[in-house]
Amino acid sequence: MSEHGGELAVEQVSHRYVVGGRTTPVLDNVSFTIPAAQVACVVGPSGCGKSTLLSLAAGLFAPSSGTLAWDGAPVRLGRTQHLGMAFQQPGLFPWLTVRQNVAIGLRTRGKGRVEARRIAEEFLATVGLGEFQDAYPAHLSGGMAQRVGIARALALRPRLLLLDEPFAAVDAFTRLKLQHELLALLKRYRPTVMFVTHDVAEAIAVGDMIVVMSDRPASVSRIIPVGREDKNRASAAFARKLAETLECLGVGSDSAVE
Amino acid sequence: MSWQALRNRVVLPLAGVLIVLAAWQATLLAYDLPVVVLPPPWLVAVTLVKLLGTAAFWRDVAVSVYEFAVGYVLGGVLGVAIGMLIGEWRGFRLAATPVVESLRFVVPFAWIPLTILWFGTSFTGKVVLVAYAVFFVMVVSTSRAIATVDPTLSRVGVALGMNRWRLAWAVHLRAAAPTLASAARAAAAIGWIAVVAAEYIGASAGLGLMITNAASSLATAVVIAGMVVIGLVGAGVSALIGWLARARLDYR
Amino acid sequence: MRALGSLHARLAPRAHAWILGCAGVAIGLAVWTLMAHVLATGGGVINRLPTPARVLAELTRYASGDLWRDLLFSLRVFALGWAIGAASATIVGLVLGRVRWLGSVFIPIVEAIRPVSSIAWVPLSIVWFGFGLGGKVFLVALAVFLVVIVYAIDGSRRVSPALERTATMLGMNGWQRFRSLVLPGTLTEVLIGSRVALMAGWGTVIVAELVAADSGLGAHLISVEQSYDGPAVMAAMACFGITGFLMNALFVRVERRIMPWRHDSNEAGS
Repeated sequence: MSEHGGELAVEQVSHRYVVGGRTTPVLDNVSFTIPAAQVACVVGPSGCGKSTLLSLAAGLFAPSSGTLAWDGAPVRLGRTQHLGMAFQQPGLFPWLTVRQNVAIGLRTRGKGRVEARRIAEEFLATVGLGEFQDAYPAHLSGGMAQRVGIARALALRPRLLLLDEPFAAVDAFTRLKLQHELLALLKRYRPTVMFVTHDVAEAIAVGDMIVVMSDRPASVSRIIPVGREDKNRASAAFARKLAETLECLGVGSDSAVE
Repeated sequence: MSWQALRNRVVLPLAGVLIVLAAWQATLLAYDLPVVVLPPPWLVAVTLVKLLGTAAFWRDVAVSVYEFAVGYVLGGVLGVAIGMLIGEWRGFRLAATPVVESLRFVVPFAWIPLTILWFGTSFTGKVVLVAYAVFFVMVVSTSRAIATVDPTLSRVGVALGMNRWRLAWAVHLRAAAPTLASAARAAAAIGWIAVVAAEYIGASAGLGLMITNAASSLATAVVIAGMVVIGLVGAGVSALIGWLARARLDYR
Repeated sequence: MRALGSLHARLAPRAHAWILGCAGVAIGLAVWTLMAHVLATGGGVINRLPTPARVLAELTRYASGDLWRDLLFSLRVFALGWAIGAASATIVGLVLGRVRWLGSVFIPIVEAIRPVSSIAWVPLSIVWFGFGLGGKVFLVALAVFLVVIVYAIDGSRRVSPALERTATMLGMNGWQRFRSLVLPGTLTEVLIGSRVALMAGWGTVIVAELVAADSGLGAHLISVEQSYDGPAVMAAMACFGITGFLMNALFVRVERRIMPWRHDSNEAGS
């Protein structure tokens, strides 16, 4: 098994978008730290800059101010060797089979063709996608395709896993199953995870901590720790944690749990 | 095939063809036209068969097809390459767009006299003409297709660590492939007709020349047979490209 | 250099596009001029490449001379052919589109003939019409017909079901339906198709005139080609392109005026 994840530190990060002549502030003095091998779920209202935060953590561009540090060193632009990312749309290459989709990531990271294929096969078998290896994305259901997308990210054995609302486009029932599977995988491979979601229940189920963001320009409203006992959806602890988070988000907690 | 489908796809079109042939024959009888104006259908068929047995005919067809093929490959490869450059590189696109747009309205046919001026009636001139026509279609289609690739695929590529070139080659080009395949068929149609037109105007050999000569000597049956051949070759090339595309490129 | 770069980046994106566009054109012209000089001293196959300056001079000369006469001849051929082609395509398209069995019988034939460009018909038209106006108009009309017919058939068939239901509710009879639903829909599509057919038709004019070579822009083009007048050839090509561009621009304007809700993207057809 590969080494587990390092620490991701976000320090006083602010970011502005300049489009045309207009400046839009998106993040305002965001600070939090994800300890090594922990799962942080970032929740907040739509459009509050959660995805921007993810892109900054991935080193896709530099923040307007502030720093992000990975493993003690500043996040370097364009460096993706340690990363795995999955998005809302699975983004599978439609002209490649499932196995080839997983393999292409490995090949881009420098593995030889034969080795990449072997690793891809092994990994897919391990996560229970073995029988779909030769299928094309067009033949997969939404949930299945998303599984492959996440498998593709995890097959790279990333130490930092960034997930941008990966289950948002999937129906509620499949979503629950996928959360379960993701949790099992994370327990096995232990990367550091930043998981952006708008679903508070999902955040409690998956995360070790919840980073609650305010509306745009977003800053951190609160960081709520999540313990094992909170994860049981039938428990009172879960309901309490849910209520606490919703209140922090400014949403009434007497409405039904989604 | 169901009875409905059989009727619609086979019986009725066949009836249509028969009606056209009948009308053709009827016009002949009604107006008593000389053979040089409108030869009867059977004469055209016989002429066509005779041509197919003539060496000179096949030589002419070979010349035209060869000119087309060389120009097509040249223009196609260049067109896709430059099209990718335009699609990928914003600076290049902005610089190249006015030039491309201004040339767009000078259709390939307008270039025929210039190619004759430069290359005479030789093989090279036709190849250049076809290459230009095909190049143009492919450049425009490729740049447009690359620009409209699903952005999620690009993001995935970047997240996997692909650099610019790898992204362009492994993701953008593959994603654009089905669109390029349709464009390749359209380009083939234009390229083929460009060869024929060029041969009508100034050629030393080829199918077009054969037909023009027949027209000058009022061998109308040959002219019509030649037109049928033009259509058949065009259809054949189009079908070939379509088959190749479906086999290799089209993932849909 | 870096100062220039940051200045560049700070300008509005539109200025950016303009600057690069002009740079592109300028570079193109520079390369052209360079090649003309290189090749003038006898290098390679293309030994008659006039400089852009010479082409422009020739263009100006032509414009103050016979250009308008030739252009008028060509435009006359074009306008006649285009009108006849579009009109006949509309009528035939309507009939084939609305009368089911007629459509099943004849549309496959149309589909088979369509890929064979009207250019292939040139020798036949020479046999039938000789080298005069009739032949050229026939070829242009055929080219336009083959393009527009598809739009006409599509348009005549494609009446939105919502409109059909409304017509039924209002109790319209066949003729009223035709006038209020089918006809406008068809004409809309035909208009769009006619614009697409512009370039096909204009291109056919030139081929017809190159072959017939009696009058018009194409005839002028062939004649200067035969007198080895490089600049004049390129000038004539430019005239052809500019005219095509202007016609297209004009037509797009008209189309936008008449049908502001439909905006077909301008694809480079043939």
